[in-house]
Amino acid sequence: MSFNLKNNENDTFLSDWLDDKISDDQLKHLVSETDFLAYKKLKDSLAVYQLAEPDMDKNYAAIKEKKIAVNNQKPVKVFPLYRYMAAAATLLLFFGLYNLFVFSNIVATDFGKTLSTNLSDNSRVTLNAKSKISYPTLFKYNRTLKLDGEAYFEVQKGRQFTVETSQGKVQVLGTKFNVIVLPNYFEVHCFEGKVKVTNATNTTILTHGDAVRFYENKIESWEENDYQKPLWINGESNFKNVPLQYVMAQFQKQYNFEIQYPAEFKTIKFTGSFTHKNIDVALQSICIPLHLKHAKTNAKTILLSE
Amino acid sequence: MNQKTNSLLCSEAVFKTVFESNFKVLRNFLIYKFKNVERAEDTAQNAFVILWENCEILKPEQAKSFLYTTAIRLSLNLIKHDKVVYNFELQSNVKEAHQESPEFILVESELKTQLEKAINDLPEKQRIVFLMNRFEKQSYTEIASLLDLSVKTIEKRMHLALVSLRKVIKNV
Repeated sequence: MSFNLKNNENDTFLSDWLDDKISDDQLKHLVSETDFLAYKKLKDSLAVYQLAEPDMDKNYAAIKEKKIAVNNQKPVKVFPLYRYMAAAATLLLFFGLYNLFVFSNIVATDFGKTLSTNLSDNSRVTLNAKSKISYPTLFKYNRTLKLDGEAYFEVQKGRQFTVETSQGKVQVLGTKFNVIVLPNYFEVHCFEGKVKVTNATNTTILTHGDAVRFYENKIESWEENDYQKPLWINGESNFKNVPLQYVMAQFQKQYNFEIQYPAEFKTIKFTGSFTHKNIDVALQSICIPLHLKHAKTNAKTILLSE
Repeated sequence: MNQKTNSLLCSEAVFKTVFESNFKVLRNFLIYKFKNVERAEDTAQNAFVILWENCEILKPEQAKSFLYTTAIRLSLNLIKHDKVVYNFELQSNVKEAHQESPEFILVESELKTQLEKAINDLPEKQRIVFLMNRFEKQSYTEIASLLDLSVKTIEKRMHLALVSLRKVIKNV
């Protein structure tokens, strides 16, 4: 009963025998008598069996049915799931990058409100009424922000810090300065350190106490050393030789009143200040020095006249 | 000319002939593979559907090997979520006209059960090759070309299969 077959695993004499390439007698020489009888019996009994026959008609009908089903499905295009996953991943990635690098963080103030905020590089921004800044999430690494309105900056020393506005930009290393952006009006006042102001046509460098304004293709610069911070932070807007239209634009931002006045008033220069706390006092402090009259025509409108 | 040969397979008459001459062996091949008649027939049917869909680019003489390649590819997808489920059954193909003594029938059915079990326990590769040869009368060369294997491999598997069967069925 011992099998000597293990001796040579590559032997194929049994398959030769099954294929009638070697005869029974030849096999008898290769294996023991018992083994031979067993193989012979296996070969013979296997010949007696087969699998149950398939139902050919039924199978053919099934094929036809499936073919029709497939044909009906054909117009439906199948997009593999991985494509959706790739698209979703790409979207997420772009969303992430957008968040990191694009100016996606927004801080804004409403009429008459101010707001202080610390940026991630520990620089401090104080926003005046109706103003807005936006900056990227990775602000620390790319210190660039956008400003609309008026803000006072206390910049930590470090990499270049840039304020971009619709009217020009201000670049600094570490310093304190105030920026006002109105339509066609751009004013920068440097309180400490050194800033570089660039607009469409000019580049100016300001050191502490210097101020510059650009409007209607004019450049005006002056020196102002009387105070350490913009006065508006303490609730008062002050002006030096500013055309009335820009004064009024800032007045509007504080009190959310529409101001109506004849066109020739626009260019009247105003020097002085108005408080953010009382509208009547504020109107008087603008109108009395300019010899103007003011009247509230309704709850949201003020009319100026001579 | 080429065009004509190619579209030949698309005609239902030709396709039916291909079906008649190949379906049974393909289906049995898949039974040896799956040990499951329903799944084997389903896969064989699907292979024929795919053959039909590709009838324009195939010649009738390419059909056979296309069917086997397709069936093997289809079964790769199936086989993963498959645990056991076998119903491997043999049928005697001898006309039952002679010697039906109760003893003969008993021995006969015992042998049949033993064979079924032994075949069922064979490694898949050996089982397919061995039964394709024994039951479907496919020559080693034919099996080798259908499964894209060398004849030597087929011979080795035949040999090993018979050895395995011999070990299981000690007392035949």
